[in-house]
Amino acid sequence: MKILEELQQRHQSHITRRHFLKDGTLGLGAIAFGGLLGCNAVAQDPVLEAAKVKLFNNPHFAPKAKRIIFLHMAGAPSQLELFDYKPLLQELNGKPCPDSLLKGKRFAFIRGVPDMLGPQFNFNQYGETRSWVSDLLPKFTEVVDDVAFLKAVHTDEFNHAPAQLFMHTGSPRIGRPGMGSWITYGLGSENKNLPGFVVLVSGQSIPSGGKSLWGSGFLPSEYQGVELRSKGDPILYVNNPEGVTRDIRKNAINTINKINQQEYDEIGDPEILSRMAQYELAFRMQMTVPEATNMKEEPDYIHEMYGTKPGEVSFANNCLLARRLAERDVRFIQLYHRGWDSHGSSQFENLHGGFKERCNEIDQPMTALIKDLKQRGMLEDTLVVWGGEFGRTPMQENRQGVTNRFKGRDHHSEAFTMWMTGGGIKTGLTYGETDEIGYAGIKDRVHIHDLQATILHQMGLNHEKLTHQFQGRNFRLTDVHGHVVKDILA
Amino acid sequence: MKLISRTWMVAICAGFIFLSSCSGKKEIDFNAQVRPILNNNCLGCHGGVKKQSDLSFLFMEEALLPAKSGKRAIVPGDANGSELIRRVMSLDPEVVMPPEDHRLNDQEVSILRDWIDQGAKSEEHWVYIAPDPNIEVPQVEGDWGSNEIDKFVFAKLQQEGLSPSEVAEKTTLVRRLSLDLIGLPPTIEETNQFVTDNDPAAYEKLVDRLLNSKHFGERWAAVWLDLARYADSKGYQKDRLRKEIWRYRDWVIASFNKDMPFDQFTIEQLAGDLLPNATDDQILSTAFHRNTMTNDEGGTDDEEFRVAAVIDRLNTSFEIWQGTTIGCVQCHSHPFDPIRHEEFYELYAFFNNTTDHDDGRDSPLRELYSPDQLKKRQSLEQKLQSYQQSGDTVTLEYKNKLEAFLDIKPGMVQVMEEMPADSSRETKIFIRGNWLMHGDVVQPDTPEHLPPMSDSYPKNRLGFAKWLVDGNNPVTARVIVNRFWEQIFGSGLVVTVEDVGTQGQKPSHPELLDWLSNQFVKEHKWSVKSLLKNIVMSSTYRQSSKVTPELLEKDPANSLLARGSRYRLSAEVIRDQALVISGLFSPKLYGPSVMPFQPDGVWNVIRHVDRWELDTLGDQHRRALYTFWRRVSPYPSMLTFDAPSRELCVSRRIRTNTPLQALVTLNDPVFVEASEALAERMVQEGGETTASQIQYGFKRALMRPPNEARLKYLLEFYESTKEKYRAANSDAEEAFLERQAMINVANVLLNLDEVVMKG
Repeated sequence: MKILEELQQRHQSHITRRHFLKDGTLGLGAIAFGGLLGCNAVAQDPVLEAAKVKLFNNPHFAPKAKRIIFLHMAGAPSQLELFDYKPLLQELNGKPCPDSLLKGKRFAFIRGVPDMLGPQFNFNQYGETRSWVSDLLPKFTEVVDDVAFLKAVHTDEFNHAPAQLFMHTGSPRIGRPGMGSWITYGLGSENKNLPGFVVLVSGQSIPSGGKSLWGSGFLPSEYQGVELRSKGDPILYVNNPEGVTRDIRKNAINTINKINQQEYDEIGDPEILSRMAQYELAFRMQMTVPEATNMKEEPDYIHEMYGTKPGEVSFANNCLLARRLAERDVRFIQLYHRGWDSHGSSQFENLHGGFKERCNEIDQPMTALIKDLKQRGMLEDTLVVWGGEFGRTPMQENRQGVTNRFKGRDHHSEAFTMWMTGGGIKTGLTYGETDEIGYAGIKDRVHIHDLQATILHQMGLNHEKLTHQFQGRNFRLTDVHGHVVKDILA
Repeated sequence: MKLISRTWMVAICAGFIFLSSCSGKKEIDFNAQVRPILNNNCLGCHGGVKKQSDLSFLFMEEALLPAKSGKRAIVPGDANGSELIRRVMSLDPEVVMPPEDHRLNDQEVSILRDWIDQGAKSEEHWVYIAPDPNIEVPQVEGDWGSNEIDKFVFAKLQQEGLSPSEVAEKTTLVRRLSLDLIGLPPTIEETNQFVTDNDPAAYEKLVDRLLNSKHFGERWAAVWLDLARYADSKGYQKDRLRKEIWRYRDWVIASFNKDMPFDQFTIEQLAGDLLPNATDDQILSTAFHRNTMTNDEGGTDDEEFRVAAVIDRLNTSFEIWQGTTIGCVQCHSHPFDPIRHEEFYELYAFFNNTTDHDDGRDSPLRELYSPDQLKKRQSLEQKLQSYQQSGDTVTLEYKNKLEAFLDIKPGMVQVMEEMPADSSRETKIFIRGNWLMHGDVVQPDTPEHLPPMSDSYPKNRLGFAKWLVDGNNPVTARVIVNRFWEQIFGSGLVVTVEDVGTQGQKPSHPELLDWLSNQFVKEHKWSVKSLLKNIVMSSTYRQSSKVTPELLEKDPANSLLARGSRYRLSAEVIRDQALVISGLFSPKLYGPSVMPFQPDGVWNVIRHVDRWELDTLGDQHRRALYTFWRRVSPYPSMLTFDAPSRELCVSRRIRTNTPLQALVTLNDPVFVEASEALAERMVQEGGETTASQIQYGFKRALMRPPNEARLKYLLEFYESTKEKYRAANSDAEEAFLERQAMINVANVLLNLDEVVMKG
């Protein structure tokens, strides 16, 4: 057993025993462990205390952000149609791509020599910062001064699943913990009655990286992301079977725990006390989860602001839900909105079709989210991150060497735009710059591992120290790379 | 590129003499005292990854050479002349090693000094030294114990001043044994049979019956399938289905059931296709390494993912049979274990010569019948022949049989297939692990720190497989024995079953592990059933799992085995047990994977696949191991109970205890249905009174009646629940209220700690 597990186990047995002695059978209420639920129970075991400083549940320095809302646009939206305005590309529209951009490069679908593709939508400058935004995000133009644009983000991967895994787990292959798992592993959870890492999915289907994006990898499974579903039970099996009232359930859990207490008296295994605590916790979650997800209690003006319709599976609903979870101190709130893969091979993948619709779906709610967090004074300690897993090529895609039927662009790993706000990020900033056609970053490039290091830093974690030993070596989110992007910190 | 013939820590015997007796100090034990200091403080910068100042302590013969500065870190016999000692003792912050804030303590420095003065003798890590073939079973006083295992355990307990626990209750033993050997709880009849059997051999008879149960193979296959990263889908973005790969799962079940010797089990899975005159079954077994993922995403490079699959085959093979995590050697030499970067690719070369290439068809495929199908075919064939002999070929019966025979269709199964000899693939080192950057060409070979492969073996997968299990490899049997031990006791003799290398934990009972390994290979001839029988026949296994405050204090993790082990049942057993207790259980073996109930919206997560179609006619109540396993969307309640997603080999499931688990057993419709069925049985079969019905239900779950207090709590709950239903359904009939109350009681039974735990 690795030291951490051992300590956790000791920790667990220690405090369950202590609480039991203090509180008797029931009323174990406050105890919870791991990332799924709070890690804040105080340990008095000196060995654990000593180790905790290094290993567990302790920020490495004062955090700027208490929680994160990560808006992942799965499928990768085109930066050239939203934020990275390139007039020269307009001039080059329809001209064959120069050899120098193709030599030695690998693309997902582009073959032979594709044509350049100019920006498909009109751009204007907004706010005091004069930030460029296209006509597709009219509402968002109202908050450009509140965000920091990263214009030269780059990644190692140019296929969806590996790139999404890379963004969230730091590795393109399946099997590593997601960022939310790392953070709840490192910090525990603020709210004892809700999961610390929650995932909300909307759009075409779940992102192509699959549930591994929020898996706990080699970390214990209590750190995995918990999907809050829009239809059916918000958390699987959180609702009682038909006819079983809350009263009956309460009696059931009391009965279970009275018998477990008997067993504990006979057997003496502290694990029994832990199970009793988990049953009480489950009982409380049956209240808190439906309450947290009940959007009907929001006033009309909030629904109008976000464009929400309770009961729907939508990005708007998830944005409002994200705010409700943030208010309840859920540590890591991950949204996925899928359907951005604008190759131009079908109407759905058309920049003038599906892409435009996606923009319409996100514009109002993501703007509302920023404004709403701000008006509640929560933006200061809530870090919001927006972006896809990679960018799109300045060339029009020519699958099999033939220009696609609709306007579209291929996957592109060398440069794309993301934005961040809140949680100690400088506002009104554009960081990084791409070349004249938006092909590659030429200044202040930010690699995915840098982004991860920066996010962890804002949460008070040193990305080089947040490690877990597995298969004989120490793993971390940023592998052996990553630098905190100090220039964008307030 | 081999540097020096033998690596890690060949005893440095050379020409210097040290006289430890003269120094008057106790001889330093390299593995116990020195290695941990080097591993924890030095190897990070002077190891397999970084060799700062050209100094590495990983391979001791290199550590003795002059470093970049020309100075020698270690001069055997002369601590004062050794740079290592000067550095660790220096007060100058510019000079001291490890750097200032990680300074060694006095005791560590003195260990290093004495060790160098005594000649800097080093030895290999324990697992790379073959077990002593003549380990003596310890002589212990006292009459406790049933077999040799107990002698080892008892000797250690005596050293630690502990005594073993009393033997567990018979009702506990029958449940424990049944859950351990076949993964299912016993029935009341089976329990009564054992409890009332006064024959001194009753326990052994029970063990033998369970070992011969057809469900034995299912229980052990579930364990193996985590290692084999078996799933019914291809993985990656599209995660398309593999609808015929279950035939491999059935092969594993059948192999455990017939107690196929583990060496043969190994060879067939790794290289069944290369055996002379390979049978269909031997080909089928090679689907083991076709459980690697295939990427169907548009625009991906097939070669990249072929390489990823080959690397996974190597990593998986090493983890399963060598307890060594070799993945890091893809990019650089192993930071802690004596495996060099180029050796990774020499091993890789064994696997790099198969025809699969990450294509959409998942080729090569082979048309194969399952054992079940073969059996049916055979029996039908015989009957058809007998009809033919008696000239009855025009009867309706003959026609039906013939049709049934023709209806048995083989499946196209992913198997291994070697490249033709004239087009073998050349293997090159990937520089820093990057598959696009090629270095020198290498030939298939085994690593230097392990005994060489016999010259008589072919230099291919078959040779590699034989090398693992021919009895000369010091690691294999220990790793395998440790895996089975872990399954029975909840943790291994080496806790880190996935890593027995220098970063793994030390064995709690090294002699016992070696003795068991010797016996497994030599006496039991790799028979898993014999190994398991030996383990469960021990008194160590039969102890009560009661935890006294003294035991909790002295040995919280029970590594000394002074009590029976107690831990939560696996995801599979949690489900299977509920099905058996409630009487819903379908005992059917083998066949295509099934789709039991799961909520809407869980499965249809990704495009391009079939629907989740709820199975009926009892197939929804089959053992968990038959549940359709899609990698991007594994069965939710299994995940909640710590099953992996089966994308990669997983040696050890970390057991957690979370509220989501409580929600599964309380509210998952599968468990609600089980509660209903159990309540029905309690009412039908449990006698006239509510009390007798509850007692009966409790006994179905735990093999013993509830004590007075438990019964009282359950009765109170029954009554209060009935009244709650009455209040909500004022005109309901009494029978309805009683039924609802009993369902809730049954649900409570399935949620008791003692039910989800193995005691």
